[in-house]
Amino acid sequence: MTRLERSIGMVLRAGVAVSSACLAAGLLLSLSGLAASIATPLLQTGILVLICTPAARVLISTVEYVTQGDWQFAALTAIVLLELIASAVAALVFNRRL
Amino acid sequence: MPQATPFLASVIFVAGIVAGGLGALLGLGGGIFLVPFLNLAFNFPITIAAAISLTTVIATSSSVSAGRTGKHLINMRFGMLLEVVTAAGSLLGGVTAQLLAQSTLQRLFGVTAMIVAVIMMTRLKRRNVILDPSIDPGVLGGEYYEEESGCVVRYQVKRLPVAIAASFLAGNVSSLLGIGGGIIKVPVLNAWCGVPLRAAAATSAFMIGVTATAGAIIYYGRGQIVPVLAAAAVLGVQVGSWGGMRVGQRASAMWLKAMMAALLVVVSALMFVRAGR
Repeated sequence: MTRLERSIGMVLRAGVAVSSACLAAGLLLSLSGLAASIATPLLQTGILVLICTPAARVLISTVEYVTQGDWQFAALTAIVLLELIASAVAALVFNRRL
Repeated sequence: MPQATPFLASVIFVAGIVAGGLGALLGLGGGIFLVPFLNLAFNFPITIAAAISLTTVIATSSSVSAGRTGKHLINMRFGMLLEVVTAAGSLLGGVTAQLLAQSTLQRLFGVTAMIVAVIMMTRLKRRNVILDPSIDPGVLGGEYYEEESGCVVRYQVKRLPVAIAASFLAGNVSSLLGIGGGIIKVPVLNAWCGVPLRAAAATSAFMIGVTATAGAIIYYGRGQIVPVLAAAAVLGVQVGSWGGMRVGQRASAMWLKAMMAALLVVVSALMFVRAGR
């Protein structure tokens, strides 16, 4: 297994574990009505971690390809990152206009 | 915006289990079942249903791919190259979804469900392509060890422009309608681009996390991801796909495929009826 494969596996596993734990805890707390004040930030964290996991995976790929001097794939993965940033910008633009 | 009641969350959790289980058994994501369920049964706007579904796509992609790294079934370089276009398609789809009318989105879903049904029916019996083991995989090709046959499968990527076009379309449909898009890419990669089915499916599953994220960011930023309901769906789909993987993709899944194709035809018809109102 290459170093990139190992670190991608680790990022994905950690992302799934953390987000699932936050979502499960948040869901139970929110539905039971026990601690709604903790439930909301837990759910938000869970969803954010979930969305950031693939982005983090792309970021470490870019870093690894740069380290290896593989400029072609460093550029390709950097473009993907820029596209994800463009999505965030698009959401902001929509919220301003509509 | 639907009210996040405990009842609704429970229903969505169970729906997630069913969709995730079916998805794992059939080799598609659960979104193609989850989105119409939420839209038709609970009157969720397509954008809200798609937003919830995209979060489940990300979760499935991450957890399935985490377990597969190092086995070379995922062709990372090829996947990362195609992600450039799937993410672009997805970004465009996410923006388009905000602008289109509900009825237009329903019609688009109807058309997509029909196409998926046709793909499923025509691919009931998979072709086993015999590959030349001495082939040079090149920059984008790959090789992996196949446990069943005990051989190393080596392949070259052919017709790259076709793969790129299919990936753009898949990314676009993914964010527009909240499905993974694997059902569009995998058959194309397998039939025209020389990628063995298992490698195509694993690489697609790896890519759809990033693809769905490009769209999910837009939905998230617009406040369209209802946290409690997304949590219920994500956890349900995780449980369902875990269960589905345990049962495995068996040959007897053929009748299941035929049934699901029939169900998708019904979904497609219902979407058109709803859109016409």
